[in-house]
Amino acid sequence: MIRFDQVSKRYEGGHEALSQLTFEVAKGEMAFVTGHSGAGKSTLLKLLALIERPSHGHVTLDGQSLAKIGQSGIPKLRRSIGMVFQDHRLLMDRTVFANVELPLVIGGIAPQERGRRVRAALEKVGLLDYERQLPASLSTGEQQRVGIARAIVAKPSVLIADEPTGNLDPQLAVEIMELFAEFQQVGTTVLVASHDLPLIKRMRKRVVVLDHGRLVADVSAEEVL
Amino acid sequence: MTAPNEVQAPVRSERSHRHPLSSWREHHGWSAAASLRRLAVKPVGSLLTIAVMGLALALPLAFYLLLSNVQSLGDALGRNQVISVFLKSDQVAGNAQLLAKQVEQHDGVASVAVKTPQQGLDELSKMQGFSDSLHALDDNPLPYVLEVQPQDGISADAASHLVDDLRSMQGVDVVQDSGTWRQRLDALLGVGNRAVLILATLFALAVLLVVGNTVRVDITSRADEIGVLKLIGASRAFVRRPYLYAGIWYGLFSGLLAVGLALAIEFALAEPVGRLSQAYGGKLQVGGLPPWLLLAVPFAAACLGWLGARLVSAWQLRQAV
Repeated sequence: MIRFDQVSKRYEGGHEALSQLTFEVAKGEMAFVTGHSGAGKSTLLKLLALIERPSHGHVTLDGQSLAKIGQSGIPKLRRSIGMVFQDHRLLMDRTVFANVELPLVIGGIAPQERGRRVRAALEKVGLLDYERQLPASLSTGEQQRVGIARAIVAKPSVLIADEPTGNLDPQLAVEIMELFAEFQQVGTTVLVASHDLPLIKRMRKRVVVLDHGRLVADVSAEEVL
Repeated sequence: MTAPNEVQAPVRSERSHRHPLSSWREHHGWSAAASLRRLAVKPVGSLLTIAVMGLALALPLAFYLLLSNVQSLGDALGRNQVISVFLKSDQVAGNAQLLAKQVEQHDGVASVAVKTPQQGLDELSKMQGFSDSLHALDDNPLPYVLEVQPQDGISADAASHLVDDLRSMQGVDVVQDSGTWRQRLDALLGVGNRAVLILATLFALAVLLVVGNTVRVDITSRADEIGVLKLIGASRAFVRRPYLYAGIWYGLFSGLLAVGLALAIEFALAEPVGRLSQAYGGKLQVGGLPPWLLLAVPFAAACLGWLGARLVSAWQLRQAV
């Protein structure tokens, strides 16, 4: 479960990215965070991954207060979260297999087990035949799916994605979002930041709307048209 | 993509049961191999860096080699160190023998030989330019001389004491210490040794800086990769490890190059030093680099490389996400 309790974030220079934000996402739930550019979507995800720390308030993940996690505990926290980025953040000089394998190498998983899990993850995103290719030889949509495979290969309890369909055409965007929905259906908590309202409506999931860092609407899946 | 029912449940991380040491060891092996591959990917840059470091390390080694040979030369010549004690002209053979016995009992004296005035005259007459002028003399003006051989390994202070004692003996006119030059040589060698130590320290610092800067550039060029690794949960030690190995490789290879260069210098010096040795009747032992130093230099250089990489990577990686 993800919980934001009266969370504010003010950057150096005075810009307030988030203000008094309170909401929670239940375990196994999928929610979208939306809003215009600068609404605070990315900051919210950064607080979850401890890329940033809140100025006020508390962020809790699976019952653990992130404020209590010191610098040395950050890698362990990040290993428990799957992260997907708009720009994929793949290592272009390594194969698809090596990219997806990275979280398992970092996690100290045995080579044989790694191979099994990487192929399972690539199969989930439909890229099993591409494991020996370099990311540069793949389309943008395929690269994003490699990024998703990397995010889920270590079987995280929480999956967060920052504008994962920003660079994709509508059809590919729907495919990617449906992939996230599949992970939610099997118990993963999924939080996706996106400004693509038509896509969000189509997915019929809970939507948290931010405006200038404030929560202005929290629409349940049933209420989404 | 597969259908939803084929999707395996991505439940909470289920780490396979594996000893942490196994993955630690595996990552060390991977880091060592990966950093070596990175060096091979840019061979010109890597070789230039290694060459600069190797030359820097070879210089103190070359000085060390030179000094050890000068020391060896000094040792060879030092075996002939003799203190000549010239007795007063009124001293007769009996007095000379008596004094010789007294000197023999002195600490630090290996042997004493009495040279008669006639023996002195004979030696002089054998020397070019002296024989004619000696015929012009009515009497033999030379005194009895005690040739005192100090014990091997006598210290400069003890030798100096011995000379003072000899000078204070009754019947002694002049004492000539042929070991003074040796003391001066020892003093010069002391300065040289200190200079080698200072040079070695300075060049070690240079190696540290070269490795540090190389690793800094490497880390900067891989900032994106480092950012990704940290975002997906890599610890600082995990991210740093390949760079530490890069430092070790740079140090090790430059150390091996330095040893190779020093051996080449040793080889180049072997012939002229051999000729010099022959000139001293083979007494001069040509000194080379000791085996322990041949092993210690690459090892120390690898440690320096590691240290340079460690210092820089610790600072650089703190700046990353």
